[in-house]
Amino acid sequence: MRGASPHYSAWSLLRARIKGHGYWQPLWTGHKLQEAYDVVIVGAGGHGLATAFHLARDHGIKRIAILEKRLVGYGNVGRNTTIVRSNYLLPENHYFYEDSLRRWATLSRDLNYNVMYSPRGVLDLALSEDEMSKAARRGNAMRLAGIDAELLDRAALKRYCPELDTQRARRFPIVGALLQRRGGTVRHDAVAWGYARAASALGVDIIEDCEVTGVRSTAGMASGVETTRGYVEAERIVFATAGHTAMIGSMLGVPLPIETHLLQAMVTEPIKPLLNTVLVYVYPGHGETYICQSDRGGLVMGGMLDGFPSYTREGRWDRMEDVVEGAVDLLPHIAGCKILRHWAGTNDMTMDGSPIMDRLRYDNVFVNAGWCYGGFKAIPASGAAFATFVATGSAPDLIKAYRLSRFTTGHLLDERGGGPFPVRL
Amino acid sequence: MTLATLQTRLTCPFCGPRHLSEFVFHKTVAPPNASPFAEVYERIDNPNLSIEHWQHVRGCRSWLRVHRNPSSGSVLEIHLLGAAI
Ligand SMILES: Cc1cc2nc3c(=O)[nH]c(=O)nc-3n(C[C@H](O)[C@H](O)[C@H](O)COP(=O)(O)OP(=O)(O)OC[C@H]3O[C@@H](n4cnc5c(N)ncnc54)[C@H](O)[C@@H]3O)c2cc1C
Ligand SMILES: [Zn+2]
Repeated sequence: MRGASPHYSAWSLLRARIKGHGYWQPLWTGHKLQEAYDVVIVGAGGHGLATAFHLARDHGIKRIAILEKRLVGYGNVGRNTTIVRSNYLLPENHYFYEDSLRRWATLSRDLNYNVMYSPRGVLDLALSEDEMSKAARRGNAMRLAGIDAELLDRAALKRYCPELDTQRARRFPIVGALLQRRGGTVRHDAVAWGYARAASALGVDIIEDCEVTGVRSTAGMASGVETTRGYVEAERIVFATAGHTAMIGSMLGVPLPIETHLLQAMVTEPIKPLLNTVLVYVYPGHGETYICQSDRGGLVMGGMLDGFPSYTREGRWDRMEDVVEGAVDLLPHIAGCKILRHWAGTNDMTMDGSPIMDRLRYDNVFVNAGWCYGGFKAIPASGAAFATFVATGSAPDLIKAYRLSRFTTGHLLDERGGGPFPVRL
Repeated sequence: MTLATLQTRLTCPFCGPRHLSEFVFHKTVAPPNASPFAEVYERIDNPNLSIEHWQHVRGCRSWLRVHRNPSSGSVLEIHLLGAAI
């Protein structure tokens, strides 16, 4: 039988306090794989779960399954560094990510689950006057679109983030920063669990330990998926497989503009509150570090991609050194902290760094991927817009620019201006 | 035969085993007979065999074609780019 977790409220929490831990129910239980569905979603990461939730809630689709080869949250939704922001330069990107940032602000209420959105600000540090002009350009582009952005000089930066060492003599001194105050962090696991619980409550079947291995077709349309638990018939199929999307391309015989690269992250032992914002630090010729402090007190850090294709989920050691060196450079007093955990995720890197939301080979097969190392922040907007696409068959304006054909027409969304390479070291 | 586990070293045909940080990965190859657009943007991303262009930038600067297994991290073959195999 399907179990349902109760609605959470101040009263229910009070009751839990009185009843003890017996109050807590599993967030979803007892789902059974059926023979046929209206929509089968492959991948229980953030994008698959959010798409399922919106298909059920906004479009009234009844028979939906999410098939996940491992566990809910095993992929990048549970491996990222939790940073959300909408400080993009290109209009197609900043409108889309702004839609997402607005949705983060109300998501806890929408899901009836606390995802701990914390608008603590995201600071992109600038290390030269040239970088300040670049930051100003990006900030102005955002402000023209009605998105908050502030350019901070060194004194203002010091006021906003006193713990940052801006004075020390450096080869590339920190001269200022671009601040987005509404940017910040969201508890990543809570996002996976919250969407899964809400989707389950709307009748979505979440099937773990079920890998999709093939697609069957009849008369030019997909008719269902082969899985490790047998064949499942589907009217529509959605691939939201993030770091395994290149394999889906091979499965369907469609070469994709994707390379699969590793990104690492790590967290220190918990310490007292130190850093109340997110620092992003890209130092010339060396590497990159972004750092924030989790609610438990650990300093969460990440940096650049490892730099070559890999599915191992084992990061290279010298990249970890880069990240830690950058962190200690910004906050010298953390040098004595120990790294508690370290991990890596496979990222579906596209050749312009922007996502792909389109059909794939068949009219009734959809792909939501190419999230690179920045797709966590996109989850709420992607789920809502992609569900509309799958339900109605036409892509909303917000995601039209993310179609696959841009790689043959040349309408690329190369935010970084880096050319068709996921990494340039 | 496995030449090395890529996490730490790569063996240059001229310089021998060198630290990974001396090399820069350029790209995986595009599908054969690709159109000009596909040549630039498409990639063969095979979890068992990845055919890649690298350069020994902080060494002899030669361009290399490297065959690897990206699921295990092991390096299968390294040749000078353009050399007959
Ligand atoms: C270390 C790291 C740090 C990051 N930091 C940030 C950040 O700070 N901010 C940000 O916005 N983004 C960040 N990202 C990127 C972000 O996490 C991803 O872009 C995003 O989570 C990907 O979408 P997803 O959640 O749907 O993917 P996933 O959670 O990876 O979901 C895909 C799922 O598909 C399943 N799957 C794959 N193939 C199959 C199959 N054949 N059958 C069944 N199931 C299958 C996988 O098991 C997986 O669970 C980071 C990523 C990493 C690795
Ligand atoms: Zn060499």
